Amino acid sequence: MGLIDIFITPLFWIIMGLLYALIIYSARYWAKDLGLKMNWWKWLLSGLWFILLILTLAGGMTLIGENEVRGGLYFLGFFLIISLILGVVLWRILSVNRKKTDR
Amino acid sequence: MSKKPAKKLSRRDFIKYSGLAGAAISLGGAAGAGYFNGKNKATHTGWGKDAYGENQFFNRKPFEAATPTYEKAGKVRRIGYLENIFKRNGELYRLMYPRDGSKPQWSLDQGIDDLPEPLRSYYRNHPGSLKEFKKAIERSRQQRKNWEKYKDQYLLADAWSAAHSSPLRGREAFPPEPDGPPEESDFKGINTKPYRLKSPQHGSRLIKKITHTFGATLVGIAPVKEAWVYQGYLRGVGKTRFDKPQHWKHAVVVAIPHEWESLYANPTYGTSYDAYSMLNFIAGKLEVFLKHIGYAARSHVPPTDYDIAMPPLAIDAGLGEQGRNGILITPELGANTRLAAVTTNMPLQDDQPIDIGVKEFCRKCKICAEECPSGAISFAEKPPAPVRGYLRWEINQDKCFTIWNTVATSHPRGCRICLAICPYSRKNNWIHRLAKEIDPYDPTGAFSSAMLAMQKGFFSYPGGEAYLPPPDGNNAVYQDPPDWLKMEEWFEL
Repeated sequence: MGLIDIFITPLFWIIMGLLYALIIYSARYWAKDLGLKMNWWKWLLSGLWFILLILTLAGGMTLIGENEVRGGLYFLGFFLIISLILGVVLWRILSVNRKKTDR
Repeated sequence: MSKKPAKKLSRRDFIKYSGLAGAAISLGGAAGAGYFNGKNKATHTGWGKDAYGENQFFNRKPFEAATPTYEKAGKVRRIGYLENIFKRNGELYRLMYPRDGSKPQWSLDQGIDDLPEPLRSYYRNHPGSLKEFKKAIERSRQQRKNWEKYKDQYLLADAWSAAHSSPLRGREAFPPEPDGPPEESDFKGINTKPYRLKSPQHGSRLIKKITHTFGATLVGIAPVKEAWVYQGYLRGVGKTRFDKPQHWKHAVVVAIPHEWESLYANPTYGTSYDAYSMLNFIAGKLEVFLKHIGYAARSHVPPTDYDIAMPPLAIDAGLGEQGRNGILITPELGANTRLAAVTTNMPLQDDQPIDIGVKEFCRKCKICAEECPSGAISFAEKPPAPVRGYLRWEINQDKCFTIWNTVATSHPRGCRICLAICPYSRKNNWIHRLAKEIDPYDPTGAFSSAMLAMQKGFFSYPGGEAYLPPPDGNNAVYQDPPDWLKMEEWFEL
């Protein structure tokens, strides 16, 4: 089995699924400990931002993998900057009425 | 000294930091999955990934159009055989180098008036065409001289091309040339006691399944319109004026791609013959199959054994639309689409043409025109004039052929840059698939404009003359060749 096969085997995606479950489970604790008052649309925005980040990395690397190195790097650069800006904006939104906590 | 008690990791913190680590790992996983998806050869569409083409097909149903996307404008007329560059160049070669070794009947020093009819009339109407032919011949002489210099780099590609073209040459070529008029030749050896088909729908489904087993990536069925049949030359008969044979009721149109990695390394590493030889086998086998079950059949195969123009036939068969580069663009293969057809009298159900917005995309894109080393592809916003009664962009065949004679190959065996760099000619992986699936559903064209802006802003193209040998260019290729075509990987040079 080559390296390529690891990323297309069902086992890889099962592990990825478990990791996402863990991320979602732990996100509640992070939000609480950071004093964020979350509601459904804030969770939705946070989820969409994370998906954007994932697609940016996957998209850029896909292009690099298919021999479009310049295209891949520009794609990564462009969308990582957008992700960063949106991340800052998202943090501002989430931080409104943020409660300072001990943790 | 008093020691600080070690802080215990709480269950809560354990979950939190596991989640954080999980996020980092999953981002890494996404990057890795993306990278290997991009690299994966199985994401090259239509190249033996799946014998029956399952999971490769674009859903055409929502894009079926009542009429094909070519636009009728003016009087429709059939394509004269001399309007095909290979047919007219063939005529000129036969005059210059008679097959029986007799004295040449025409040479490059002579002019249009010294040519026999109908060549004389053709070139009187297209004087630039003969000038370009002479230029191409001069370039081909230089090309042969240059080969000594370049063969250390390109011999593997040349050998690979020669291997693919070998089954197409000589008397043993398959499928055999038609012998006699279609009313005789197409019926030779047919089963005289055919079974009754349940319905034309059954016929179409059967023929498509069979053709896929022969190796076809895409199969469509179209009615044979008289307008697409060549005029002035009929295989098996020779030079003649003829009407469309009555039994050419339907055409089974087959599309396959070139091997993808060599395609991207054009013009020097690729070949047309890989797809051509496969098409000859697929169409030839289908011809035998159809005759065996009792129906007349004639295959029309590349490079030049056609009695019908392929792109409009394939448009009618719903395989795709014609692009600015004159090539059929399909949702699955992009411009990496090579065509053959088999005409038959078998009762079949025709497919519907589709409209996925190729014409509008080509209007905006122009990458093929910018990258064409010969300048043969039009930059015009819209097709400037009708071609034989249809509005479409027309490529300058003569200029295109001159470049075949210029690039660093052993002989003129094509260029194919316009196939390779077309934004539709991308892998069947998730990112390109997503773009191809979303774009046709956007009536505003905003999505394709955004994709095009990325294509032009992020991707690099060598540009026009860079594909030519020095001093005009540097033998550039669109993408690096695969290792199996690199001489330096295997030989001591």
